[in-house]
Amino acid sequence: MRRRDLLKLGLSAVPILLLPTSHALTQPKRYAMMIDVTRCYGCMACVAACAAENNVPIGVFRTWVERHVRADGNIVFVPKQCNHCENPPCVKPCPTGATFKREDGLVLINDEICIGCGACIQACPYGARFVNPVKGVADKCTFCEHKLAKGLLPACVEACPTAARIFGDISDLDSEIKKLVESSNVQILKSWAHTDPEIYYKNLPKEADI
Amino acid sequence: MMALGAPLFPNELVEPILWHPVIFAYALVISGADLIILASLAYISRRMTKAIPLLLVLGVSFFSAALLGPLADLRQPSRAPLIFSLAHLVPTETHPGFSFIALYANLWLILIILSVIFLLFYQSYHLHLKSQAGGRLRILYRILSLGVGNEERYKKLKPFLTLLAAITIIPAVLWGIYPSVLVVFQTWLFLWRNWAILPLIFFADTFVASTAAAILVYYIIKLAHLDYDVLSPLLKVHSAGCVSVAGLLGVQLLLWNQWFDGSPLNTAFDVVVPIIYYVIALLLLSFILALASLKVTKLSVFVSIVALLGVILNKWNTLVNGQLISRTGLGVLSLELPPDWLLTTLSPIAAAIFIFIVLSSIFPLKVKEVG
Repeated sequence: MRRRDLLKLGLSAVPILLLPTSHALTQPKRYAMMIDVTRCYGCMACVAACAAENNVPIGVFRTWVERHVRADGNIVFVPKQCNHCENPPCVKPCPTGATFKREDGLVLINDEICIGCGACIQACPYGARFVNPVKGVADKCTFCEHKLAKGLLPACVEACPTAARIFGDISDLDSEIKKLVESSNVQILKSWAHTDPEIYYKNLPKEADI
Repeated sequence: MMALGAPLFPNELVEPILWHPVIFAYALVISGADLIILASLAYISRRMTKAIPLLLVLGVSFFSAALLGPLADLRQPSRAPLIFSLAHLVPTETHPGFSFIALYANLWLILIILSVIFLLFYQSYHLHLKSQAGGRLRILYRILSLGVGNEERYKKLKPFLTLLAAITIIPAVLWGIYPSVLVVFQTWLFLWRNWAILPLIFFADTFVASTAAAILVYYIIKLAHLDYDVLSPLLKVHSAGCVSVAGLLGVQLLLWNQWFDGSPLNTAFDVVVPIIYYVIALLLLSFILALASLKVTKLSVFVSIVALLGVILNKWNTLVNGQLISRTGLGVLSLELPPDWLLTTLSPIAAAIFIFIVLSSIFPLKVKEVG
């Protein structure tokens, strides 16, 4: 290549470098969910949808709905699941690296190299993991990552009749979840565990923070 | 499945004892690491030298069976080698932190190699003497003597063996506190998270278990001919261990009382606290018997039995009953054991005893001191 051609090539790259970088190009996605407890009336549609979508065996749960009685006697329903923590305590003890944290914030399990030691299950403060009795490996919510890859929402979000679950990319400033989390008084579960969950709750009663 | 009290997480109800009782057998077999520590210290300090062959052979036998416990507890045991080939030891962005299970599995490999080399070189000249005496296994003894055919060559090994003993102590000490570091620092179960001094208790407890096992084996082998020089140092270490564990358990009871008095979480401890009192009583009784055994050596078998009872009760209480308390701290699950739990639990201990029988038929447990 001649020196003049090289110079031309270099100059042609300058406008590309000067282009304003778009959010989508620079910022990796960061998935999160917000659950408005006052909107949940305990219909369990999310639990059923999750089980059907992900072949969750009977007796174990990727998501569940807790029933709590508040001090004033009112009953509240609190959906729970894996919190896809920013600082996930379940990833550290995994001896083979089968449990890992993806760039988009999803905490996932590689079934192929999970030895079924149960360390991650014991490490989860939220009781969100279990041994899949069919596969013999650790299992939990994946935010339906197979659906996310197709641009769809997690099954539990789609199934909720009252839109109690809001899901999206929290790194996107224009997303609904980002705006809701910023504008609402949100809570997280077991904040003292310093796990930095990506599931935010609105109107979470203190009785449910267990 | 019945659950006592509430609230609980639904996934906890499926398998309340995720780590089966084999974890408790495993914790006992780990005491082999403490026997290796004692043998190494004895070699370096040139004290209680008569006990070294027994401590070393028993330690290697028990420790070599240590990984059978967790292997039996894996849901995918055929994938166990992945712990070595894909060991999660270095933190990365996708895999933050490091795994104690992976670390300790690899440390096990290092310690077993170091202790076997130590055993072979320590016994080399004595095996040479055995090969000279003839017999069917003389060729095996000659091979295992590693060419150390005279006292002079054996004496030259001393600096190497001293260095080896010193290096061996490091992974052995780390193993002495396993699996307490795993349960305290890498799990979120209510009892374990609130038991900060558990590694200290485990460290002292494995000394109690290892010396109790050594005293029992020595008693069975020697019966009427107990040697005070072998027994006395074991009894002293054992007594110190018993008092330490009993004291530390007492301290933990006081701490729980201070932290949770008046809290609804306090009731969760009802599953473990009464048993801790029995453990303290048994260990103190073993301590008293150990002091008496220094005068009447025949009593030493009772020292061992009482201590082993205490240790077994303590390990069961910590590792099995500890899992019954919900992560919420507000509920207790009922104990349901898998149908084959007893066989699975006893098998690592049986394997350790079998290895000891084989090794003790090759390596002499009483040797002539050289140099």
